[in-house]
Amino acid sequence: MGSSESLLAASLTEQREGLDRGDATSSELVDASLARIAAHADLSAVVSIRDAAARAESEAASKRIADGKALSVLDGVPILLKDNIVQAGEPATCSSRILEDFVSPYDATVTEKLRAAGAIIVGRTNMDEFAMGSSTENSIHGEAHNPWDRSRACGGSSGGSAAAVAAGLVPLALGSDTGGSIRQPASFCGVVGLKPTYGRVSRWGLVAFASSLDQIGPFGRRVSDCAAMLEMIAGHDARDSTSVPEAVPALGAAMTGDIEGLTIGLPKEYFVEEGVEPGVLARVREAIATLESAGAKVTPVSLPHTEHTIATYYLIATAEASSNLARFDGVRYGRRADKVEDLQDLYMRSRSEGFGAEVKRRIVLGTYVLSAGYYDAYYGKAQRVRTLIRRDFEKAFESCDLIVTPTTPETAFGLGAKSGDPLSMYLSDVYTVSANLAGLPGLSMPCGLSDGMPVGLQLIGKPLDEATILRVGDAYERLTEHHLARPPETN
Amino acid sequence: MSALPEKYEMVIGLEVHTHLKTESKLFSPAPVQYGLEPNHSVHPIDLALPGVLPVLNERVVELAIRLGLSIHATVNPLSIFARKNYFYPDLPKGYQISQFEEPVVSDGWLDIEVEVGGAGNGTGKGKKKKGAAPELERKRIGITRAHIEEDAGKSIHDIAIAGSDDSCIDLNRAGVPLLEIVSEPDIRSAQEATAYLRGLRSILRYIGVSDADMEKGQFRCDANVSIRERGAKEFGTRTEIKNLNSFTSVEDAIEAEAIRQFELIEDGGEVVQATMGYDPERRRTSVQRLKENSDDYRYFPDPDLIPLRIDPARIEAVRGELPELPEEKRARFESEYALSAYDAGVLTASRTLGDFFEETAKLSGAPKQTANWVTRDVLRELKERECELEDLALTPEILGSLIKLIEEGRLTARNAAQIFPDLVTDGGNPEALMVERGLEAVSDVGAIDGFVDEVIAANADVVQQVRDGDDKPLNFLMGQVMKASQGKAEPGQVRKALAAKIRG
Amino acid sequence: MSGIGPSDVANVAKLARLAFSDEETEAMAKDLEQILGHVRSLDALDTEGVPPTAHGFELATPLRPDRPAEPLDPELAVSNAPARQGTAFLVPKVLEEEG
Repeated sequence: MGSSESLLAASLTEQREGLDRGDATSSELVDASLARIAAHADLSAVVSIRDAAARAESEAASKRIADGKALSVLDGVPILLKDNIVQAGEPATCSSRILEDFVSPYDATVTEKLRAAGAIIVGRTNMDEFAMGSSTENSIHGEAHNPWDRSRACGGSSGGSAAAVAAGLVPLALGSDTGGSIRQPASFCGVVGLKPTYGRVSRWGLVAFASSLDQIGPFGRRVSDCAAMLEMIAGHDARDSTSVPEAVPALGAAMTGDIEGLTIGLPKEYFVEEGVEPGVLARVREAIATLESAGAKVTPVSLPHTEHTIATYYLIATAEASSNLARFDGVRYGRRADKVEDLQDLYMRSRSEGFGAEVKRRIVLGTYVLSAGYYDAYYGKAQRVRTLIRRDFEKAFESCDLIVTPTTPETAFGLGAKSGDPLSMYLSDVYTVSANLAGLPGLSMPCGLSDGMPVGLQLIGKPLDEATILRVGDAYERLTEHHLARPPETN
Repeated sequence: MSALPEKYEMVIGLEVHTHLKTESKLFSPAPVQYGLEPNHSVHPIDLALPGVLPVLNERVVELAIRLGLSIHATVNPLSIFARKNYFYPDLPKGYQISQFEEPVVSDGWLDIEVEVGGAGNGTGKGKKKKGAAPELERKRIGITRAHIEEDAGKSIHDIAIAGSDDSCIDLNRAGVPLLEIVSEPDIRSAQEATAYLRGLRSILRYIGVSDADMEKGQFRCDANVSIRERGAKEFGTRTEIKNLNSFTSVEDAIEAEAIRQFELIEDGGEVVQATMGYDPERRRTSVQRLKENSDDYRYFPDPDLIPLRIDPARIEAVRGELPELPEEKRARFESEYALSAYDAGVLTASRTLGDFFEETAKLSGAPKQTANWVTRDVLRELKERECELEDLALTPEILGSLIKLIEEGRLTARNAAQIFPDLVTDGGNPEALMVERGLEAVSDVGAIDGFVDEVIAANADVVQQVRDGDDKPLNFLMGQVMKASQGKAEPGQVRKALAAKIRG
Repeated sequence: MSGIGPSDVANVAKLARLAFSDEETEAMAKDLEQILGHVRSLDALDTEGVPPTAHGFELATPLRPDRPAEPLDPELAVSNAPARQGTAFLVPKVLEEEG
């Protein structure tokens, strides 16, 4: 392997050192990334590349680095954006026919920040249409394939970003998480995925699915890489009214490796044997034991409203989505149906032809729960139950510093396995949606394999306490080697 | 147009949408500008591009508080922005950000003046003496609520621009901040309706909340109209007349609709809830949309926005900075300057006119005269020249000096009226102009006697009539003396001299 | 609460400007009824006196100073338009008043 290829496979810290030392230039690193993306086209992880621009930018970065003027830890490093995070002059399809030719005239805040930091955005990744899905099968670009077993799903909706990092196409990629869309694919693909506290990262430029639940977050192969990425993209943004004013702590410094005396809460509702694959439960219990061996304490907690989280989530998410997607009407941008007869025909056909089945299903459900006569019973009720779910966590956190659970009840399912059964697909989000409902930070990291497929360990922190879950995750990495496991290479 | 029979009364509620006077839009920083080419003042937020988010303009909050205080309403410490969901090409997001269950302002009122006994069923032609100021009484109109919402864009149907099959969509106006002000159904005639609208518009302009220029679409009115038999406790079914863009069309449309409803009922029919349009050419209202087909707006709190919290200290701060309101100024003019209610009302119709009057009155030292000059002569000039007060060269200093000259007896009112238009056009010094044109009043007794003798001599038979007891020709003789003196003879002196010489 | 049937789906589809065939409407009604069946478990919960969660945290209302920014270049504003007339968006004639 050439030096740039081996550098591409390394951690962010090693890449930074390698670039600064001159082991490889940014241009070589970006070329290696683009070559690897091309070689792994069969994964359908990446849906568009901006190779000419990326090469030009990496040349400028190479010069800066050679002059000792690297802009940040990310300067010259290739990264990918999920296709629902906009960049000026670039497409943003959200894996939907209705946006297949859309080019954004403006940058998302995270895009601005990453470019200002010198990161090289080489392309955009596959996702479930409008972030609605848990498998990255609902996409006009074709289904994404899990690098660990190409017959299996990557999870979703940020499946492309998870697969890209798992396959070593880039060291870091951004995704978005509304009900688990970063953590679940991270779990299925054996990488680290972080959903920040709600409001930590600006949503300006993230195509909205469910406004009160969505957050942008990083995928990486190391917890510390994700921490570095989060530091770069987080912070108050005046353009996002839901953005929290709190300053971003120095997360790197938080990862001391010391978790002595920390108390880990284990919610009994997440460890019910009938609900989880035995292999998953086994790997997670081993991980907990490892953390205990490092000095952490364990205590049982209860999150009594867990059985209602899926229902609550789907009522709120679909209601907000039905409203957020009303702007896709074929009038100002996006796909307009051919030969429309009148205005109503324009709306009906543009939207019906432009949206996939899952999106339409959720829009219909969301519209129904908001409609006259049903608001109090469904949406109104769900927002109250949401308060109960948040209170569950507040109470649990009185006796622990963080909560640990499996990320998903199963490992990656086969492509097509859940296609005919939407409810079954929704139920696989059962461990992840609660963190979105409560606005809490959540991390998923690999903790071993079960029948050859990655298992994810989920860490849920107190509001704005990404530092603690990153510290625990990083400490776990220091004690294990699961983060070094790589999917088997094929041709 | 016939009137509604006495046994019926009309019940009216008005909804006004007014553009708030801000530099940028409600939730986007795009400039608020009028008359631009399509889409020349838009921001990604106004286009509802994927990924955009709203941020509230702080000046809008200030203006909403001002309006709430000025209509004696409660400024709610907590109000919520809600999405009103429907599809229309001038509504880019497919929803309008508005306020629903918890508006920023609630439970206010404003007083209007209506003609005593004159507010009949629509004609409004009360029994007043010709030339006399109408007798007015106060009526309180309740205001249910006022809430903040964003305006939609515009659809251009003009065939010359869009062709016969299409419409053009311009989003310059999309996102402009509006206050929707909803009255209680307390209004009982078309005249009360326009009195309320004028009063509301006046307040909005006085406190700088809106320029409320109807031609620019900054003050739009929808009228909810129903009728019922006098004495009935229940309200009749109401219809909503939309897109009324002048006070005249508001009055005419309300009357037309009331009569339409009456005729419908007389014919055995029933009024159904509907949205109506008004055709000024045919002076008729007609059904545009039946309300049963109305959309379900699926209101829910906007998750992209934080509830609006206004703390009491902020409200008090705004209260402290409020300018004098029209009704306060009117009451003060009546008491401080001993003006009639009618004159005070005319002078406080706009803040600039009221200020102009007051400054002039201070300089002239003669408020009653000043009131006459402003309500009669200045307003006449504005009407004839079709301009604003600011456009006249006439200043309070100039008018004040002019009136002072009259009060001092140095210039007759008649000659003052003669030089007035020039002062309005060119400004200048009234005293200098008076001297320049040789218009200085003649009050020298000898000179006046001379003119009076001249006129008496030339009009012997008229003089005899007066001697015989008829007072009427005195005016004629006065006029002759004024003519002889080229309007310069001081009228008081002339009257004395005439009386003395004719009747001894 | 009664179930969601094909006519409910048809009404809601109209509100959402989506067109379904009869088969699609039937299938959607079945899927949604299954999902709502799961969702009805919320009925059993006592939420008396529990306030709805409107937002993640108790934030002070963020405000923006009333300073106008440069508007978007009009050409860029309509650059993604499926149909345009100059710098205006073009749509089939808008006949009825808004809802």
